[in-house]
Parts: sequence; structure tokens; C-alpha cells
Amino acid sequence: MSDYRDPAVIITVAGLSCAAITAFLGFFQAPLVNPDSWNAPEAYRILYWHVPFAWSSFLSFTILFAGAVSWYAKRSERGWSMVVIGSELGLLFGSGVIISGPIWGSAEWGVPWDWGDVRLNTYALLTLVALFLVMSLRSQPDGEETRDTLAAVGLFGFILVPITAAATTIWRNRHPGVIFRESEETGEVPVDPEILQVMVFGTFSFMILFIGLVLLNYSIYNLRAELESLNREIDKEMTN
Amino acid sequence: MRVPCRYNMSIPPLAQAKGIDVHRGTSKVLEGASVSLGAGEVVSVMGENGSGKTTLIEAFAGILPLRSGEIIWNGGDQSILVRDSDGRRNPPPPMGLTLQKGGICGDETVSERLATSLSVAGISSREEQVLDLLGHWGLRHRSKDRVSHLSGGLRRRLSILCGLAPAALSQTPMVVLLDEPSEGLDDTAKETLKGWLRALSSRGHGILVATHDKELSSCADRILTIEDKFLSETSGESSGEPSELSFSAQSSEQSPISSLIRWSTRMEIRNPIETVGRATPAIVAILLSYALVMDFDLQTHDSRLLAALVLAPAFIASISTPALVSRLSESDCGRWWDAVAGPMARPAFTITGASMILPIPVTYLSWFVLSGSVDDQVSSEVLRWLWIPALAMVDLAIASTALHLLVSNLSRSSAAPAPLLLVVMVWPFLELTDALSSIIDNGMSWGLSIHEPLVTCIVASIISALVWLSAVMIPDY
Repeated sequence: MSDYRDPAVIITVAGLSCAAITAFLGFFQAPLVNPDSWNAPEAYRILYWHVPFAWSSFLSFTILFAGAVSWYAKRSERGWSMVVIGSELGLLFGSGVIISGPIWGSAEWGVPWDWGDVRLNTYALLTLVALFLVMSLRSQPDGEETRDTLAAVGLFGFILVPITAAATTIWRNRHPGVIFRESEETGEVPVDPEILQVMVFGTFSFMILFIGLVLLNYSIYNLRAELESLNREIDKEMTN
Repeated sequence: MRVPCRYNMSIPPLAQAKGIDVHRGTSKVLEGASVSLGAGEVVSVMGENGSGKTTLIEAFAGILPLRSGEIIWNGGDQSILVRDSDGRRNPPPPMGLTLQKGGICGDETVSERLATSLSVAGISSREEQVLDLLGHWGLRHRSKDRVSHLSGGLRRRLSILCGLAPAALSQTPMVVLLDEPSEGLDDTAKETLKGWLRALSSRGHGILVATHDKELSSCADRILTIEDKFLSETSGESSGEPSELSFSAQSSEQSPISSLIRWSTRMEIRNPIETVGRATPAIVAILLSYALVMDFDLQTHDSRLLAALVLAPAFIASISTPALVSRLSESDCGRWWDAVAGPMARPAFTITGASMILPIPVTYLSWFVLSGSVDDQVSSEVLRWLWIPALAMVDLAIASTALHLLVSNLSRSSAAPAPLLLVVMVWPFLELTDALSSIIDNGMSWGLSIHEPLVTCIVASIISALVWLSAVMIPDY
């Protein structure tokens, strides 16, 4: 059982609290967007969670990728732990994106999903890759060949990330583009400063939550490994 | 006291394992194992169940990832790094291999299987020679039978013969790897096996035999024992009279990959479950689409919907599970091919196992059935250029097969949610839908801007190629 004084637990709880505060600020404090530019100006508030979810999931996939590379390069246990943690967090945050996105899309576009939008589709695919990994990690016996295959799937998932990022700017259909990019003409960010403040706070909140969950999952991973090794010792004693 | 395995310096090694660490599951099975297999010697590997005998044979064959060390074979006058712990892998020189499960697909005939084993070892054989070899093992009368019709004992005889025959017909020293060859053999066949082992070693071939049969290991020159991850060595009795083997054959230029392609084609012709398994859902999809939209003017209503319906049957055929996956999983057949063909086996599987032919005729058939409401001019323009998205669908089929094969690597592949990965292929499908829709609306154009049909088809092919690359190349690294 995790100790509540464990830094991982403290950081996770702090991240969750900040995420809740972000939701409160987003729903009750942040100003409305320009009703002339948006079909459903109230619905935009879900973006205060949607965007940080997206950032966190990209970070999760980065961990997954780094872990898969490390596994291939060094066969390191730490690399494999990154694959496990990256896929679990990728699924968690990716699910957040593809659940909150269609809710907003229903209100703003009138349809929850657009099969013609490359970014939406690739994002869903990323999350499905994470789901594949999480389900396979639970169903397959742990071993060298299983790890090789799942790490390959992790690398394959990460190849989708730059495609998704490129899709944001090249094939943009319905989905809005990058929010925080400066305008090339004026050099300013075209977002209300108050909205930007809440958005930045939300992003930091999710970063704290993300760090907490990485640490927490790493502790769980180590405990599982310890348990497995103890079980093996008991197996040996039982056979002798 | 553990004694390190000696290298017999008087005999040039045909193959060597240098300091290999191998894991099976989460446990280390071999630690720092160094073994040398010289020309003209029979080396027996003994140990309790689960001690690592099979692991050593499969590591020698290059089909297991190594945590450390390397496997080196000597073919002709050059050394070949078959596999190392950095992921480097090369095809081994011609060899004879019998895996514990046999490595034979049930759809092969007995003589075909033997001829395939010879051809992948670079040996050209005549039918009479094949029958002669089968006769030595009491299988001549079964030469035309499918392997699935043989009893377990006869199947075992065949798999052993397939491991020994390349060496029996080879003029140059060859490595032979046998995993539990005496398992399931009657006494007569065991005697034949011992005689062949002595005969092959007298002709300069190196034979590594994993066995727990003490009688069989008595014919070995050296005995390696695996105990608690480590190897120790004792001298063998080298007992047994060599059989008289008077075979000879010519070498052939045929590569293992071309043998693999011919094998795959032959299996499909004999039992076309691949074609039936892909064509049936495709035709059902065409008929269902026709029933649903027969009175609907698709062209004026939504050309994207028409394009999607036309391409969907070929897409369904392309992403269906290839029959090759089940053929390769039968009795470790895929592992056998992986060992004899080396790292190029996997890319070859993805091409031979993919639906290469179906997407084009299915797409045209789909257009003929669903394009009733489309005016003649548009229809003739589409018919002229429909092959372009249909051809890109072939790339998609190859990538899908690569994903199926990637998942089939998992030890419990049936428990893995493979369809989740296949959803990736929706994206190239949508790109192709865009391309066909554009052809329907505006005719074919050769512009190079991002939404032109040609560029969209190329994008779909590039995505498929990326998927294929990551599914095929990364796991073997």
C-alpha cells in the first residue's frame, strides 16, 4: 500500500487539486470567448482540460518512445518501466482528449466526430495504440520477445505523433490550430489574457499531475517487480 | 565443479556461441555460455526439462534475442555474424534444422516438405533423390500425402529427415541442429538416426543435438550439460556404426526467400483459405452496400460516401487476418522459416501473406455494382483511373499483414487485441476515399498540391509504408 507521505502521492494529490481548481476557474471565472467567432461560446470552457490533457498525453507518448528506444538499445529494465508507464499514462490522458474533444465538437460543430479531420483521427489512433499496449501488458506473459514486440508497437505509436503534429497545420480541417502560437504579423498571442492565464494554470496543473502519476506508477512498477521476485523465491522453496 | 567448455582446436569450428546470455520469460536461462561446434563432430546437449537445451539450439539458429554475446557461423571461407546482443542479424549459411515442434505446416505434402528443406539449404534435388531419402526413413509410400494426414511418429521422422537431409546431400561441411530428435521415435527409427548422425559426422558435418535420451547421446563425441544456467562438458562415447549414405546432389542458386515465396504460393493454391477468407467478406460488403443504396443517387448527393462504399470491400479484404499467420503458427513453422531465411523472412512474409491481387478486381467490381446512378462520362473517367487508389490499397494490405504478423509474435497472440492496431489503417483508407471522391467530382488531375488525388494516394501509400517499416524492421533490430 502506498504511503500517503510518499512524494509521489503528495504530488499527485496536488496535481489533482490544481486540475480541479482549473475546472472551477474555467467554468466560473474565465471570460467568454467572442460569440461571433464561435458557434458555442460556452462550450469552449471544456478546452481548459482538453488542451492540458493533450499536452500530457504527448509527454506520455514521449516517455513511451524513450523507453522503447532504451529497451532496444540497452535492454534496460528502466527503459521497459518507461514503456509500461508511458503506455498507461498515454491511455489515461489520451482518453481524456478523445472524450472531451467530441463533447466540445458536438456543441461547436454539431457533430462529435469528423472522419475527415486528420488530427482527430490520428489522435484516436494514438490512444488505441496505448490501449493495445495496456491490454497486451496485462494479457501476455512477461518476457524478452513480448517486450520486443510491445516496444516495437510503442515506437510505431510514436511515429504517429509527428504526423499528428504536422496534420495540425497542413491538413487542418475543422479542428482549431495551435492555440499558443504567436501571430506572424503582430508577434502577439491572439487569445484574451485572462483566458490565457487560466489555460497556462491548467497546463501547469496537469504537468504536476503528470509528474505525480509518473512517480506513482514507477513505485507501483517496482513493487510489482519485488512481489514477482518474492513469489519466485517462494516457488523455489515449495519445489525444494 | 563447473568445467568451461573446451574448444577443440584441431577441428575448425563451423559455428560458435560466444558468451551468450539468453532470457526466456523473466528468467535467465543461459549465462555466459560459450560453445563451439566443430566440423565432423556430434555434440549432445543434455539437461533436465526446462534447463535450456531448446534455448541453446534456438539461440544457435539465431531466432532468439541475446542479452549479451554473439553467434558466429563459418560458411565457406568467411565468418558470418548470425546474431548478437546489439540486434545485428544476418542470414546463416545453409543448414539442417529440426525444431522441437517440427516446424512443418500440415498443408505440405511429405515430398514437398523434404524438397523445400533441401532448396532452402541451396541444394537442387531430383524427385527420385527425394523418394530415395524418404525410403531410408520408411516414408516413401507417404510421399504424396499431406503432413496433416501423418501420425505423430511419422511426422517426427519427416521433421528429423528434413533436418538431416541437407547435410546428407551437401558436399561441404554444414551445421545440423536437432532439438529432441528421438522424442516420439520407435526403436528402428532411433537406430537409423544414430547411424545417420555418425555417417554425417564422418563426412565433416557438425551436429548439435539437444536431447535427454542417454542412448542417443552415447553416439556424441562431446556432451554438454546445462545445469542452473551454466554449461559443463564431458567426453562422449562416439558409439554407433555409421549408416551408408551415398547421396549426392548439385547446389542451386535458389535463395531461401524465393523458396519461401514458392512455398507460400503452393500452400495457398492447395488450400485457398487466404483468398476465400478475404474475398467472402469483400463480396458480402459489396452486396450489402448495393442493397442499402441501390435507389440512392450517390454521385449528386455525396461523392465521398460513394467513394467510401466503393473502396470499403477492398479495405475489408486487405485488413482481414492473413491465412499465413495460422500457417506459420502451426508447429512452429514460422520459427523454422525465420531460422533458415534469416532477418529477411519477416518482410517476405508480409508480402507473400498480403492480399496483393484482390484489391484491384474487388474495387472494380465494387464500382460496377455501386455506380448505377453515376453518369456515363464520369463513370468512364473513374474506370480509367480507379486502379490508382486500388493499387495504393495493395500497400495498405501489406502494412496490415505486417501488423498481424507483429501481433502474432506475442506468445499469447490470440489474447492480444490486434484490431486496435489495425484501426491505424483507417487513415490511409480515408485518404484514398478523398482521392476517389476527387476523381468522381473533378476527374483525374496530375497536380501536386496537397488535396490532388495523386498526392493523396501517395500520402496513403507513405503512411502504409511507415506502418510497414515500423512493424517489420523494428522488432528484429
